[in-house]
Amino acid sequence: MSEPAHDAPDPLNDEYGGISVTTFDLDGLLRFWSRRWDDILELVAQHLAVVALSLIIAMIVGIGIGLLVWNKPVPRSVTIAAAGVALTIPSLALLALITPIFGLGWTPTVISLVFYSLLPIVRNTVVGLREVSPAIMESARGMGMSPTRVLFTIQLPIAWPIILTGVRVAAQLTIGIAAIAAYVAGPGLGQLIFQGLSSLGSKNALNFALTGTVGVIILALVVDGLFVLITRYSTSRGLRV
Amino acid sequence: MSIESATMAIATARQQPVRERFWTFKRFTVPIIVVVVLAALLIWLSSIQLDSIEERTLNWTYITLRVGEHLSLTVVASALVALLAIPTGILLSRTRSRALRGTILGIANVGQATPAVGVVILLAIVWQTGYTTALVALVIYAFLPVLRNTMIGLQQVDANVRESARGMGMTPNQVLLRIELPLAQPVILAGLRTSLVFCVGVATIATFINAGGLGDMIVNGLKLQRFPVLIVGAVLVACIALLIDWIAGLAEDLLKPKGI
Amino acid sequence: MSESTDTAITAIARKTDGASIVLDHVTKVYAGQDAPAVEEFSMTVDPGELIMFVGPSGCGKTTTMKMVNRIIEPTSGSISIDGRDVLSLDPNELRRHIGYVIQQIGLFPHMTIAENIGVVPKLLGWTKQRTAERIDELLQTVQLDPGVFANRYPKQLSGGQQQRVGVARALAADPPVMLMDEPFGATDPITREKLQAEFLRLQASIGKSIIFVTHDFDEAIKLGDRIAVLSERSHIEQFDTPANILAEPANAYVSSFIGKGAALKRLALLPVADAGLGAASGAGPLTVDIGDSLRDALDALVLNGSPAIDVVSDGRVVGSLDMDRISQALGAELPSTRTGA
Repeated sequence: MSEPAHDAPDPLNDEYGGISVTTFDLDGLLRFWSRRWDDILELVAQHLAVVALSLIIAMIVGIGIGLLVWNKPVPRSVTIAAAGVALTIPSLALLALITPIFGLGWTPTVISLVFYSLLPIVRNTVVGLREVSPAIMESARGMGMSPTRVLFTIQLPIAWPIILTGVRVAAQLTIGIAAIAAYVAGPGLGQLIFQGLSSLGSKNALNFALTGTVGVIILALVVDGLFVLITRYSTSRGLRV
Repeated sequence: MSIESATMAIATARQQPVRERFWTFKRFTVPIIVVVVLAALLIWLSSIQLDSIEERTLNWTYITLRVGEHLSLTVVASALVALLAIPTGILLSRTRSRALRGTILGIANVGQATPAVGVVILLAIVWQTGYTTALVALVIYAFLPVLRNTMIGLQQVDANVRESARGMGMTPNQVLLRIELPLAQPVILAGLRTSLVFCVGVATIATFINAGGLGDMIVNGLKLQRFPVLIVGAVLVACIALLIDWIAGLAEDLLKPKGI
Repeated sequence: MSESTDTAITAIARKTDGASIVLDHVTKVYAGQDAPAVEEFSMTVDPGELIMFVGPSGCGKTTTMKMVNRIIEPTSGSISIDGRDVLSLDPNELRRHIGYVIQQIGLFPHMTIAENIGVVPKLLGWTKQRTAERIDELLQTVQLDPGVFANRYPKQLSGGQQQRVGVARALAADPPVMLMDEPFGATDPITREKLQAEFLRLQASIGKSIIFVTHDFDEAIKLGDRIAVLSERSHIEQFDTPANILAEPANAYVSSFIGKGAALKRLALLPVADAGLGAASGAGPLTVDIGDSLRDALDALVLNGSPAIDVVSDGRVVGSLDMDRISQALGAELPSTRTGA
């Protein structure tokens, strides 16, 4: 049993049905934040940066793969199955497997994040490209467009909102996984969470962990909102619902 | 993640053609790959020299203990989640209150954005470390995908089907049991499958709060720079995740009502 | 592509007044099926002709049409446009000079109407100026105000408007040949009539060689210069002008297409001026205009309840029509025996 931590004499009962819990001290939390605001912001920036970098790489690779396999049934199902495998593997395991080769820090983090982002992006690219109506495809070919031209000027723009949704899902995924990556010295808010763990028993443990977790939640929600905006403004007006 | 799985589940459930043979070769791809990988692992292990630290970890007793802890966490948590989240989902899908449903959706969004490692460690700080805490964290984390899928699954039952059932004189409970739940079942099972995979993943993190499991091997391997330990732990956990996902997929396909 | 392809396509492109289309023993067999979808189809379309392919679903009419621009590749036989073998040309280049309108239209939802119409000109490298002018011209031709519609998106247009844009888009590069697969099929009857009337007007002024597929025999009669009545495997049962087919159907199959009222349909094709006019009868109140068809005249006659009806031109009565004169205009010779319609 770990000792409950008190910052100050606490009128709140810290025994709930025989289970001892650490109480939440709002004052302490606010003081904690005011002292560490710079560090926290820097970690937020790092977190965003590593996620953004991974997403960009994943988009290039993922959309590229999608463009190559969307109309070839066997490569398509193999690719999607392979990407699905990556998503099933627990993130800590994947991160750990990469470290012997790539060390600690940014590199294994980015590689794992890209890996995890591939499934939503590849699958949505393939689905989006395939869902363009046959009538549109036929009239485009009938007008004399080559298959490649149809792919890039007709299918891709029409599939774009769906692809972007895949990137959005990938963003949500990776923001969460990046938090775990802190264990292999990855950048971002996860470091706060793990600091909370390593200072377990001290008065600031809860503050660290809470700040880290809440920070990730807010970041994820804000990024999601950003994606809604980006999708709206990058989609042709003719396609918007 | 669960929107994706829900949507994909609905999409896959609707598009599956009638299969003639269930037990084809393709169905066993995942287990075969797992067996091959494990065999390769064993061969590699027997070919290298292990030092004393590694020997303490890389033996059958230790490994079986960790695997047992990991599986127990996963299975118990998933069972609890199923028992709690599905009835809640059924109840919630019956409310007419838009405000309630809106709040649930809001909470679900926040929940989806929450990092698992945060939940685990926060719980450990606030309460205590150990197996029970990990179990609670797993249940909390896996609750939402199942809840969401249950609600979506019930919601996407065609209103016309519901209406004709009531028109035939079935009570609301009968409609639920005989029509809605069977039709929603593929989506609900897809949610359970997702939550199982989540549980395996979060159980790996449980090592940070002294809950045991294969995460122990990974973390020890990393801390002590003993890569064989690290690799065995990571590969084993990956294999378990793949096998559990495969079994869940099997159940999904076997239990799917014919005709959908 | 090769020198000869370029020359061939340029030559075809120049025939904006219509090019001849020749199909010679064209056959299409799909893999895994015993019966061919199209069997030994041979036909010549003269420049500027509007040919209707009529037949039931599955008879192969659309397949045949789609082989002309090689959306479907023939298994055997040859197809030539303006005397040049289509099968030896680069398909993409070829299609840029064939107008193609399909039933579901297939407007590109992410492009404006102007961008949609400008697709082929852009593919052909037209200047922006020339394209813009052409877009304006085409929109006006299909009776859509360019100021209003050019920058709208397909989803903002009604079905009939979308159809018109589809036709305008097919005409954009002024192709000598057009292929149209039930282009007015997805609209309601009222819109369809309007579209058909507009289309006739258009064809009268631009005169392209057109293959038009329809399952609606009345549409075929209304629009076509010649009609090919097709049965299974795209077998040609009769290939002739509407009037001739109506007057002398080749067999029971063709008759079944015509249905009852063949005589009335023939009358609809004949203008009042074709019949000899008698003296003004003064029977009233209904009259018929000299520009109307003989069927309108018959219709008015019946409504009037009088033996004859007056014909007016520019408000002045110029003569009259009665049953005899109308019958004589039909050629009077009704086949003595005819199997049931």
